[in-house]
Amino acid sequence: MSVEHKIPEREKQQGEWTPKIVGFCCNWCSYAGADLAGTSRFQYPSNLRIIRVPCSGRVNPHMVIRAFQKGADGVLVAGCHPGDCHYATGNYYARRRMLVFKRLLEYVGIEPERFQARWISGSEGQKFAENAIKLSEEIKALGPNRKLRDVR
Amino acid sequence: MMNKMTDKAKEVARELLEKQEVDLVIGWERGTFEDKTAPLFMKKPEDVERLVINEYIVNSLATYMLHYKTHGGKIAIFVKGCDSRGIVRLIQDKQFTREKVYLIGVPCSGMKEVNENDEMVDSPKCDGCTHPNPVIYDVIIGEEVQPKNPENRFKVLEDDLNKVVEERWSSWASEYNKCIRCYACQRICPACNCRECIFVDQSQEWIERRVDETENGTYSLIRAYHIAGRCVECGECERSCPVGLPIMKLNKRIAKDIEDLFGPYEAGVDIEQNSPLGDFKYDDPEEFM
Repeated sequence: MSVEHKIPEREKQQGEWTPKIVGFCCNWCSYAGADLAGTSRFQYPSNLRIIRVPCSGRVNPHMVIRAFQKGADGVLVAGCHPGDCHYATGNYYARRRMLVFKRLLEYVGIEPERFQARWISGSEGQKFAENAIKLSEEIKALGPNRKLRDVR
Repeated sequence: MMNKMTDKAKEVARELLEKQEVDLVIGWERGTFEDKTAPLFMKKPEDVERLVINEYIVNSLATYMLHYKTHGGKIAIFVKGCDSRGIVRLIQDKQFTREKVYLIGVPCSGMKEVNENDEMVDSPKCDGCTHPNPVIYDVIIGEEVQPKNPENRFKVLEDDLNKVVEERWSSWASEYNKCIRCYACQRICPACNCRECIFVDQSQEWIERRVDETENGTYSLIRAYHIAGRCVECGECERSCPVGLPIMKLNKRIAKDIEDLFGPYEAGVDIEQNSPLGDFKYDDPEEFM
Protein backbone atom coordinates (compact mmCIF):
# COMPACT_ATOMS: atom_id res chain seq x y z
CA MET A 1 0.00 0.00 0.00
CA SER A 2 1.40 3.34 -0.98
CA VAL A 3 1.58 6.48 1.08
CA GLU A 4 -0.95 8.14 -1.22
CA HIS A 5 -3.65 5.68 -0.18
CA LYS A 6 -3.03 5.71 3.50
CA ILE A 7 -2.52 9.30 4.52
CA PRO A 8 -5.65 11.02 3.09
CA GLU A 9 -7.88 8.49 4.85
CA ARG A 10 -6.40 9.35 8.20
CA GLU A 11 -6.74 13.02 7.43
CA LYS A 12 -10.42 12.70 6.53
CA GLN A 13 -11.11 11.34 9.96
CA GLN A 14 -9.34 14.23 11.60
CA GLY A 15 -11.22 16.96 9.73
CA GLU A 16 -9.27 19.91 8.36
CA TRP A 17 -5.59 19.15 7.78
CA THR A 18 -3.03 21.00 9.83
CA PRO A 19 0.68 20.40 9.40
CA LYS A 20 2.79 18.64 11.98
CA ILE A 21 6.00 20.52 12.62
CA VAL A 22 8.83 19.28 14.78
CA GLY A 23 10.97 21.96 16.35
CA PHE A 24 14.37 21.06 17.76
CA CYS A 25 14.98 23.90 20.21
CA CYS A 26 18.21 24.47 22.04
CA ASN A 27 17.78 24.47 25.81
CA TRP A 28 19.58 27.73 26.45
CA CYS A 29 18.11 30.10 23.87
CA SER A 30 15.29 28.90 21.66
CA TYR A 31 13.54 26.82 24.30
CA ALA A 32 13.67 29.81 26.64
CA GLY A 33 12.42 31.90 23.71
CA ALA A 34 9.46 29.55 23.31
CA ASP A 35 8.87 29.77 27.03
CA LEU A 36 8.87 33.55 26.87
CA ALA A 37 6.44 33.45 23.93
CA GLY A 38 4.16 31.41 26.20
CA THR A 39 4.42 33.56 29.30
CA SER A 40 4.03 36.73 27.23
CA ARG A 41 0.86 35.24 25.69
CA PHE A 42 2.00 35.58 22.07
CA GLN A 43 -0.29 33.46 19.94
CA TYR A 44 1.34 30.86 17.72
CA PRO A 45 -0.01 27.68 16.09
CA SER A 46 -0.11 24.60 18.30
CA ASN A 47 1.13 22.37 15.47
CA LEU A 48 4.76 23.13 16.32
CA ARG A 49 5.89 20.31 18.60
CA ILE A 50 9.00 21.23 20.47
CA ILE A 51 11.80 18.80 21.30
CA ARG A 52 14.32 20.21 23.73
CA VAL A 53 17.95 19.54 22.84
CA PRO A 54 21.02 20.69 24.78
CA CYS A 55 22.41 22.63 21.81
CA SER A 56 21.66 23.11 18.12
CA GLY A 57 24.94 21.25 17.61
CA ARG A 58 23.24 18.20 19.14
CA VAL A 59 20.84 17.95 16.23
CA ASN A 60 21.94 15.01 14.19
CA PRO A 61 20.71 15.25 10.57
CA HIS A 62 19.50 11.70 11.06
CA MET A 63 17.00 13.03 13.64
CA VAL A 64 15.63 15.42 11.03
CA ILE A 65 15.09 12.58 8.59
CA ARG A 66 13.61 10.47 11.37
CA ALA A 67 11.06 13.22 12.03
CA PHE A 68 10.07 13.21 8.35
CA GLN A 69 9.80 9.42 8.42
CA LYS A 70 7.55 9.45 11.44
CA GLY A 71 5.10 11.95 10.06
CA ALA A 72 6.48 15.47 10.34
CA ASP A 73 5.53 17.82 7.51
CA GLY A 74 8.23 20.28 8.46
CA VAL A 75 11.24 20.49 10.73
CA LEU A 76 12.63 23.56 12.46
CA VAL A 77 16.05 23.62 14.07
CA ALA A 78 16.43 26.58 16.39
CA GLY A 79 19.50 27.59 18.35
CA CYS A 80 21.34 30.49 19.90
CA HIS A 81 22.60 33.30 17.71
CA PRO A 82 26.21 32.81 16.54
CA GLY A 83 28.41 34.04 19.35
CA ASP A 84 25.81 33.30 22.06
CA CYS A 85 26.25 29.53 22.33
CA HIS A 86 26.23 28.23 25.90
CA TYR A 87 28.96 25.80 24.86
CA ALA A 88 30.88 28.55 23.03
CA THR A 89 31.05 26.98 19.56
CA GLY A 90 28.23 24.42 19.19
CA ASN A 91 26.08 26.54 16.92
CA TYR A 92 28.97 27.37 14.59
CA TYR A 93 29.34 23.66 13.87
CA ALA A 94 25.57 23.34 13.57
CA ARG A 95 25.50 26.21 11.09
CA ARG A 96 27.91 24.48 8.71
CA ARG A 97 26.17 21.15 9.17
CA MET A 98 22.70 22.51 8.51
CA LEU A 99 23.81 24.62 5.52
CA VAL A 100 25.14 21.52 3.78
CA PHE A 101 22.29 19.28 4.90
CA LYS A 102 19.63 21.70 3.68
CA ARG A 103 21.21 21.70 0.23
CA LEU A 104 21.39 17.91 0.19
CA LEU A 105 17.68 17.63 1.01
CA GLU A 106 16.90 20.15 -1.73
CA TYR A 107 19.01 18.18 -4.18
CA VAL A 108 17.06 14.95 -3.65
CA GLY A 109 13.80 16.85 -4.07
CA ILE A 110 12.48 17.81 -0.65
CA GLU A 111 10.96 21.30 -0.72
CA PRO A 112 13.39 23.76 0.94
CA GLU A 113 10.59 25.20 3.14
CA ARG A 114 10.16 21.89 4.93
CA PHE A 115 13.49 22.06 6.66
CA GLN A 116 14.46 25.37 8.21
CA ALA A 117 16.92 26.60 10.77
CA ARG A 118 16.63 29.78 12.80
CA TRP A 119 18.60 31.60 15.45
CA ILE A 120 16.24 32.60 18.28
CA SER A 121 17.55 33.89 21.58
CA GLY A 122 15.95 33.58 25.02
CA SER A 123 14.65 37.13 24.88
CA GLU A 124 13.03 36.78 21.45
CA GLY A 125 9.62 35.39 22.38
CA GLN A 126 8.01 37.55 19.73
CA LYS A 127 10.39 36.28 17.05
CA PHE A 128 9.70 32.70 18.06
CA ALA A 129 5.96 33.17 17.70
CA GLU A 130 6.35 34.98 14.37
CA ASN A 131 8.58 32.23 13.00
CA ALA A 132 6.18 29.53 14.16
CA ILE A 133 3.28 31.27 12.39
CA LYS A 134 5.27 31.79 9.18
CA LEU A 135 6.57 28.22 9.12
CA SER A 136 3.11 26.82 9.74
CA GLU A 137 1.63 28.87 6.90
CA GLU A 138 4.38 27.92 4.47
CA ILE A 139 4.00 24.23 5.18
CA LYS A 140 0.22 24.39 5.08
CA ALA A 141 0.52 25.83 1.58
CA LEU A 142 2.77 22.92 0.55
CA GLY A 143 0.39 20.28 1.89
CA PRO A 144 1.25 17.04 3.68
CA ASN A 145 4.71 15.61 3.23
CA ARG A 146 4.78 12.22 1.50
CA LYS A 147 8.51 12.07 0.91
CA LEU A 148 10.63 9.80 3.10
CA ARG A 149 7.43 8.91 5.01
CA ASP A 150 7.31 5.57 6.78
CA VAL A 151 4.23 3.89 5.28
CA ARG A 152 3.68 1.07 7.74
CA MET B 1 54.99 0.75 -20.22
CA MET B 2 52.69 -1.27 -17.97
CA ASN B 3 55.07 -4.26 -18.22
CA LYS B 4 57.87 -2.01 -17.09
CA MET B 5 55.78 -0.88 -14.14
CA THR B 6 54.93 -4.49 -13.23
CA ASP B 7 58.64 -5.39 -13.25
CA LYS B 8 59.52 -2.42 -11.10
CA ALA B 9 56.63 -3.20 -8.73
CA LYS B 10 57.77 -6.81 -8.37
CA GLU B 11 61.30 -5.65 -7.69
CA VAL B 12 60.17 -3.25 -4.95
CA ALA B 13 57.81 -5.77 -3.35
CA ARG B 14 60.37 -8.59 -3.42
CA GLU B 15 63.01 -6.43 -1.84
CA LEU B 16 60.68 -5.34 0.97
CA LEU B 17 59.73 -8.94 1.75
CA GLU B 18 63.27 -10.33 1.47
CA LYS B 19 64.70 -7.69 3.78
CA GLN B 20 61.70 -8.26 6.07
CA GLU B 21 61.01 -4.56 6.23
CA VAL B 22 57.30 -5.32 6.03
CA ASP B 23 55.17 -8.33 7.00
CA LEU B 24 52.80 -8.04 4.11
CA VAL B 25 52.54 -6.36 0.73
CA ILE B 26 49.06 -5.73 -0.65
CA GLY B 27 48.77 -5.45 -4.42
CA TRP B 28 46.78 -6.82 -7.35
CA GLU B 29 46.76 -10.09 -9.29
CA ARG B 30 44.96 -11.10 -12.46
CA GLY B 31 41.28 -11.81 -11.77
CA THR B 32 38.84 -14.33 -13.20
CA PHE B 33 38.62 -12.36 -16.44
CA GLU B 34 41.32 -10.51 -18.29
CA ASP B 35 39.77 -7.13 -17.54
CA LYS B 36 39.45 -7.78 -13.82
CA THR B 37 41.99 -7.82 -11.05
CA ALA B 38 41.75 -9.22 -7.54
CA PRO B 39 43.58 -8.08 -4.42
CA LEU B 40 46.79 -9.99 -3.74
CA PHE B 41 48.26 -10.42 -0.27
CA MET B 42 51.99 -11.19 -0.51
CA LYS B 43 53.64 -12.65 2.57
CA LYS B 44 56.57 -14.53 1.01
CA PRO B 45 58.97 -13.32 -1.71
CA GLU B 46 57.70 -16.03 -4.12
CA ASP B 47 54.14 -14.63 -3.93
CA VAL B 48 55.41 -11.57 -5.79
CA GLU B 49 55.38 -13.45 -9.13
CA ARG B 50 51.59 -13.11 -9.29
CA LEU B 51 51.63 -9.33 -8.91
CA VAL B 52 50.38 -7.28 -11.87
CA ILE B 53 50.18 -3.56 -12.60
CA ASN B 54 47.96 -2.88 -15.61
CA GLU B 55 45.06 -0.64 -16.62
CA TYR B 56 42.52 -2.78 -14.75
CA ILE B 57 43.80 -2.28 -11.20
CA VAL B 58 40.68 -0.26 -10.46
CA ASN B 59 39.98 -1.61 -6.95
CA SER B 60 41.11 0.51 -4.06
CA LEU B 61 43.17 -1.38 -1.49
CA ALA B 62 43.07 1.40 1.09
CA THR B 63 40.33 -0.07 3.29
CA TYR B 64 42.31 -3.32 3.74
CA MET B 65 44.46 -1.30 6.12
CA LEU B 66 41.48 -1.33 8.50
CA HIS B 67 41.72 -5.14 8.62
CA TYR B 68 45.31 -4.78 9.82
CA LYS B 69 44.66 -1.92 12.23
CA THR B 70 45.74 -3.98 15.25
CA HIS B 71 48.53 -5.81 13.42
CA GLY B 72 51.89 -5.20 15.09
CA GLY B 73 54.20 -4.92 12.10
CA LYS B 74 54.51 -2.69 9.09
CA ILE B 75 52.45 -3.22 5.96
CA ALA B 76 53.25 -2.15 2.40
CA ILE B 77 50.42 -1.24 0.08
CA PHE B 78 50.19 -0.22 -3.57
CA VAL B 79 48.32 3.05 -4.06
CA LYS B 80 47.05 4.96 -7.07
CA GLY B 81 46.16 8.65 -6.72
CA CYS B 82 42.68 8.10 -5.32
CA ASP B 83 43.81 5.23 -3.06
CA SER B 84 46.52 7.40 -1.54
CA ARG B 85 43.90 9.99 -0.67
CA GLY B 86 41.99 7.18 1.02
CA ILE B 87 45.07 6.35 3.07
CA VAL B 88 45.45 10.03 4.04
CA ARG B 89 41.80 9.97 5.07
CA LEU B 90 42.37 6.91 7.30
CA ILE B 91 45.47 8.44 8.89
CA GLN B 92 43.56 11.69 9.53
CA ASP B 93 40.83 9.63 11.22
CA LYS B 94 43.56 8.15 13.45
CA GLN B 95 42.93 4.60 12.29
CA PHE B 96 46.68 3.97 12.12
CA THR B 97 49.85 6.02 11.99
CA ARG B 98 51.84 7.02 8.94
CA GLU B 99 54.78 4.91 10.18
CA LYS B 100 52.70 1.75 10.11
CA VAL B 101 52.28 1.79 6.36
CA TYR B 102 54.79 1.72 3.51
CA LEU B 103 53.23 3.27 0.44
CA ILE B 104 54.24 2.21 -3.04
CA GLY B 105 52.86 4.86 -5.39
CA VAL B 106 51.49 3.98 -8.81
CA PRO B 107 50.93 6.99 -11.11
CA CYS B 108 47.63 6.32 -12.85
CA SER B 109 46.64 7.58 -16.27
CA GLY B 110 43.05 6.37 -15.91
CA MET B 111 41.66 2.89 -15.57
CA LYS B 112 40.03 0.92 -18.38
CA GLU B 113 37.11 -1.47 -18.43
CA VAL B 114 35.36 -3.62 -21.00
CA ASN B 115 31.82 -2.48 -21.71
CA GLU B 116 28.81 -4.55 -22.82
CA ASN B 117 29.92 -4.36 -26.49
CA ASP B 118 33.33 -5.86 -25.67
CA GLU B 119 35.05 -2.55 -26.27
CA MET B 120 37.78 -1.24 -24.01
CA VAL B 121 36.65 2.12 -22.61
CA ASP B 122 37.83 4.53 -19.91
CA SER B 123 36.46 3.66 -16.51
CA PRO B 124 33.66 6.13 -15.70
CA LYS B 125 34.97 6.65 -12.17
CA CYS B 126 38.20 8.14 -13.52
CA ASP B 127 36.43 10.95 -15.41
CA GLY B 128 37.26 14.26 -13.76
CA CYS B 129 40.09 12.85 -11.63
CA THR B 130 42.11 15.68 -10.09
CA HIS B 131 44.93 13.66 -8.49
CA PRO B 132 46.19 10.86 -10.78
CA ASN B 133 49.50 10.76 -8.88
CA PRO B 134 49.68 9.52 -5.30
CA VAL B 135 49.59 12.44 -2.84
CA ILE B 136 51.81 10.57 -0.36
CA TYR B 137 54.19 7.70 -1.00
CA ASP B 138 57.48 6.23 0.16
CA VAL B 139 58.52 5.06 -3.28
CA ILE B 140 56.96 5.69 -6.67
CA ILE B 141 57.09 3.36 -9.66
CA GLY B 142 56.90 5.09 -13.04
CA GLU B 143 56.67 8.66 -14.23
CA GLU B 144 54.20 11.16 -12.81
CA VAL B 145 51.29 11.96 -15.13
CA GLN B 146 49.14 15.03 -15.75
CA PRO B 147 45.45 15.02 -14.78
CA LYS B 148 43.41 14.41 -17.94
CA ASN B 149 40.24 16.44 -17.45
CA PRO B 150 39.97 17.82 -13.89
CA GLU B 151 37.30 20.28 -15.07
CA ASN B 152 34.88 17.33 -15.30
CA ARG B 153 34.98 16.82 -11.53
CA PHE B 154 31.34 17.85 -11.06
CA LYS B 155 30.07 16.85 -14.49
CA VAL B 156 27.67 14.20 -13.12
CA LEU B 157 25.65 16.92 -11.43
CA GLU B 158 24.88 18.79 -14.64
CA ASP B 159 21.84 16.79 -15.75
CA ASP B 160 20.02 17.54 -12.50
CA LEU B 161 20.46 21.31 -12.71
CA ASN B 162 17.29 22.03 -14.68
CA LYS B 163 15.02 19.56 -12.93
CA VAL B 164 12.26 20.85 -10.68
CA VAL B 165 11.80 19.56 -7.14
CA GLU B 166 9.27 16.85 -8.01
CA GLU B 167 11.37 15.48 -10.88
CA ARG B 168 14.42 15.31 -8.67
CA TRP B 169 12.48 13.44 -6.01
CA SER B 170 10.96 10.91 -8.42
CA SER B 171 14.27 10.15 -10.15
CA TRP B 172 16.15 9.89 -6.87
CA ALA B 173 13.52 7.80 -5.09
CA SER B 174 13.15 5.36 -7.98
CA GLU B 175 16.93 4.85 -8.11
CA TYR B 176 17.28 4.20 -4.41
CA ASN B 177 14.36 1.79 -4.29
CA LYS B 178 16.70 -0.63 -6.05
CA CYS B 179 19.10 -0.70 -3.10
CA ILE B 180 19.44 -4.18 -1.54
CA ARG B 181 21.35 -2.89 1.50
CA CYS B 182 24.42 -5.05 0.92
CA TYR B 183 26.55 -2.26 2.44
CA ALA B 184 29.24 -2.74 -0.21
CA CYS B 185 29.44 1.05 -0.59
CA GLN B 186 30.11 1.35 3.11
CA ARG B 187 32.64 -1.51 3.39
CA ILE B 188 34.77 -0.24 0.50
CA CYS B 189 34.77 3.41 1.56
CA PRO B 190 37.97 4.76 3.13
CA ALA B 191 35.93 7.52 4.81
CA CYS B 192 33.38 5.05 6.30
CA ASN B 193 35.66 3.72 9.01
CA CYS B 194 33.50 3.66 12.16
CA ARG B 195 34.25 0.62 14.31
CA GLU B 196 30.59 -0.26 14.13
CA CYS B 197 28.32 1.39 11.59
CA ILE B 198 25.11 2.83 13.07
CA PHE B 199 23.16 0.99 10.39
CA VAL B 200 24.58 -2.32 11.62
CA ASP B 201 24.79 -1.66 15.37
CA GLN B 202 21.81 -3.41 16.97
CA SER B 203 21.89 -1.20 20.07
CA GLN B 204 20.78 1.88 18.09
CA GLU B 205 17.08 1.26 18.48
CA TRP B 206 15.90 4.48 16.89
CA ILE B 207 17.60 3.53 13.62
CA GLU B 208 15.73 0.91 11.66
CA ARG B 209 17.26 -1.59 9.29
CA ARG B 210 14.35 -2.58 7.07
CA VAL B 211 14.80 -2.69 3.32
CA ASP B 212 12.06 -0.49 1.98
CA GLU B 213 11.41 2.87 0.36
CA THR B 214 11.79 5.07 3.40
CA GLU B 215 14.71 3.26 5.00
CA ASN B 216 16.66 3.02 1.75
CA GLY B 217 16.21 6.74 1.26
CA THR B 218 17.37 7.41 4.79
CA TYR B 219 20.33 5.08 4.45
CA SER B 220 21.54 6.69 1.25
CA LEU B 221 21.18 10.23 2.59
CA ILE B 222 22.83 9.50 5.92
CA ARG B 223 25.61 7.44 4.36
CA ALA B 224 26.39 10.35 2.06
CA TYR B 225 26.14 12.82 4.91
CA HIS B 226 28.35 10.84 7.28
CA ILE B 227 31.20 11.15 4.78
CA ALA B 228 30.42 14.78 3.94
CA GLY B 229 33.66 16.71 3.74
CA ARG B 230 35.66 13.49 4.06
CA CYS B 231 34.75 11.75 0.78
CA VAL B 232 37.91 11.45 -1.33
CA GLU B 233 35.83 11.03 -4.52
CA CYS B 234 37.48 7.75 -5.49
CA GLY B 235 34.17 6.43 -6.85
CA GLU B 236 34.65 2.99 -5.32
CA CYS B 237 31.15 3.00 -3.77
CA GLU B 238 29.53 3.40 -7.16
CA ARG B 239 31.82 0.86 -8.82
CA SER B 240 31.16 -1.79 -6.18
CA CYS B 241 27.39 -1.25 -6.12
CA PRO B 242 25.74 -4.45 -7.45
CA VAL B 243 22.58 -2.64 -8.57
CA GLY B 244 24.34 0.35 -10.15
CA LEU B 245 23.07 3.22 -8.03
CA PRO B 246 24.45 6.69 -8.87
CA ILE B 247 25.98 7.01 -5.39
CA MET B 248 28.68 9.47 -6.44
CA LYS B 249 26.02 12.00 -7.40
CA LEU B 250 25.16 12.56 -3.74
CA ASN B 251 28.82 12.61 -2.71
CA LYS B 252 29.77 15.05 -5.46
CA ARG B 253 26.78 17.24 -4.67
CA ILE B 254 27.94 17.56 -1.06
CA ALA B 255 31.54 18.17 -2.15
CA LYS B 256 30.35 20.91 -4.49
CA ASP B 257 28.16 22.54 -1.84
CA ILE B 258 31.08 22.54 0.57
CA GLU B 259 33.29 24.19 -2.05
CA ASP B 260 30.62 26.78 -2.82
CA LEU B 261 29.98 27.57 0.84
CA PHE B 262 33.36 27.30 2.54
CA GLY B 263 35.91 27.67 -0.23
CA PRO B 264 38.01 25.26 -2.29
CA TYR B 265 38.58 21.94 -0.57
CA GLU B 266 39.52 18.43 -1.56
CA ALA B 267 39.45 15.70 1.06
CA GLY B 268 42.47 13.49 1.65
CA VAL B 269 44.99 15.72 -0.09
CA ASP B 270 46.60 17.64 2.76
CA ILE B 271 47.17 15.54 5.87
CA GLU B 272 47.21 18.65 8.10
CA GLN B 273 43.92 20.12 6.84
CA ASN B 274 40.76 19.79 8.93
CA SER B 275 37.55 18.44 7.47
CA PRO B 276 35.22 21.39 6.71
CA LEU B 277 32.38 20.01 8.84
CA GLY B 278 34.72 19.42 11.76
CA ASP B 279 35.73 23.04 11.66
CA PHE B 280 34.11 26.47 11.40
CA LYS B 281 34.81 30.11 10.78
CA TYR B 282 33.13 33.01 12.54
CA ASP B 283 32.23 34.56 9.20
CA ASP B 284 30.67 31.50 7.58
CA PRO B 285 27.71 32.20 5.24
CA GLU B 286 24.66 33.19 7.26
CA GLU B 287 21.29 32.05 5.93
CA PHE B 288 19.31 31.31 9.05
CA MET B 289 19.22 34.69 10.84
